[in-house]
Amino acid sequence: MPREVEPSVNERQFFEKALAENLRLDGRAFDQFRDLELSFGDEFGVADVRLGKTRIHTNISAEVTTPYPDKPFDGLFTITTELSPMTSPHYETSRPSDPEILLSRILEKNLRRSQALDTESLCLIAGHKVWSVRADVHILSHDGNLIDASCISVLAALQHFRKPDTSSEGENVTVYTLEERDPVPLSLLHFPYCVTFSFYPSTVEEGETVILLDSTLLEEQLREGSATIGINKDGELCQIAKLGGISVDAVAFLGCVQVALARVKEISTFVIKRLAEDAKKRDKGDLMAELRAENDR
Amino acid sequence: MASTRTSTFVLPGDRLDPASLPSHPTLPLKLGPGLRHIPPNTITPTVAGQLCTDKRKNAVWVEFNGGRYIPTTGDLVIATIQNSAVDIFYASVSDYAPKATLPQLSFEGATKKTRPQLSFGALVYARVTHANKHMDPELECVSQSTGKSEGLGPLTGGMVFDISLGMARRLMLPKPVEQGALVILDELGGQGVAFEIAVGRNGKVWVNSNSVKGTIAIGRAIQETDEKALKIEEQRKLAKKVAREI
Repeated sequence: MPREVEPSVNERQFFEKALAENLRLDGRAFDQFRDLELSFGDEFGVADVRLGKTRIHTNISAEVTTPYPDKPFDGLFTITTELSPMTSPHYETSRPSDPEILLSRILEKNLRRSQALDTESLCLIAGHKVWSVRADVHILSHDGNLIDASCISVLAALQHFRKPDTSSEGENVTVYTLEERDPVPLSLLHFPYCVTFSFYPSTVEEGETVILLDSTLLEEQLREGSATIGINKDGELCQIAKLGGISVDAVAFLGCVQVALARVKEISTFVIKRLAEDAKKRDKGDLMAELRAENDR
Repeated sequence: MASTRTSTFVLPGDRLDPASLPSHPTLPLKLGPGLRHIPPNTITPTVAGQLCTDKRKNAVWVEFNGGRYIPTTGDLVIATIQNSAVDIFYASVSDYAPKATLPQLSFEGATKKTRPQLSFGALVYARVTHANKHMDPELECVSQSTGKSEGLGPLTGGMVFDISLGMARRLMLPKPVEQGALVILDELGGQGVAFEIAVGRNGKVWVNSNSVKGTIAIGRAIQETDEKALKIEEQRKLAKKVAREI
């Protein structure tokens, strides 16, 4: 396994000097996100998120399975992430690396344990048949801040996804195809997005920390600590993950939560706007318009 | 220069029209990057790109914007020192590729006692002296014939920016304005912005100026010209904007 490429001495020194002058290498403000792009696929539940040069593709699929014996009323929701050599050659397919475990655990904590997806609504016949919803997160390009980008990608894909409509008679469940009946959206209770902060010890004032938002790969490699805050647009905090690193002043940390809330409001408005645009594009009008045989020409 | 950029776009495996190749009464035909000779007399492109010819040198090659740098003898590169052995440094020219060797004595004025001390992560501007498929590339920071550094050597301070390989080639053309439609550096200089620059064929450009803000602005202007494929007029506008900001 090749080693990860580390930044050169010049890059380290220059980055430090730039931070001391309140500058970032890509000219952004400290609390500014990179340009967020979101597009949906032709099928339901396919979302492609671009945050600067970071690109993440999420695909949602659903199938009918039997539930776990201890939770007969709950459907299944799994998130699989994989950092493949396509992301960066130093990741291996066989062995999960630390960043990969962190990414999947934080997504798990943020989306599954906060009950973003109502798993009880996935139940078809208690103890026998439930929907199993699976989110596959593919990281196509890694330029930092994978956690925030994957979280946006999974939540956007979940909101875009439609599961086939079903009807049950006694023990029998009928799953209708997309042509027979309009598919139904998932029941999502709230949308907790992640915002990751990177911390650097300030060289100007002793004991102060410089806090950056949406760090690039270089900024991530040089940071001395980070914290991920999962929060929804109503200000309900779902999780905080600060795994080691330098200590941060409590007041500054509370400030981070406020910043996270403001960013999450922007992100959710953006995702809702894009979903509405996609829905408008898909909407062919009434049934007669849909059954029309003549084409646009 | 007799080199011409034809508008011919070629794909791997295309059949080249013999009329598009240069012909010279005495010189043998030289094949550059991206072309392959299959005996007896077939020449096919191995990459997608623009077919370029040089009548005077009787050369033909394909200009493409490939992703990975493959060392070629004579190229100037920006290498990162990885570790040092008894009398050589190991330097990385392109990421996740075999390390290049740089003899510790191939610096200007270096002797056994006065050789440069370069640690992990130091940058050097070097020339590729040996490069072939089966061996690790070799670098030097001194001209073999004159014994002078000629601008090569350790790079201190400043910042490196990643650019595409095509952009690196354009920046290093003898006449970038006429041949590569690249005026950003000239315009920046014309606006009175002072800076130092070193372009590595391995897709790296090192920029240094007397302010951090200036270095970032110049580096980003080069990257923007590359990524957005700016036209000459747009480059002029960008240079004016950058000069105003600094």
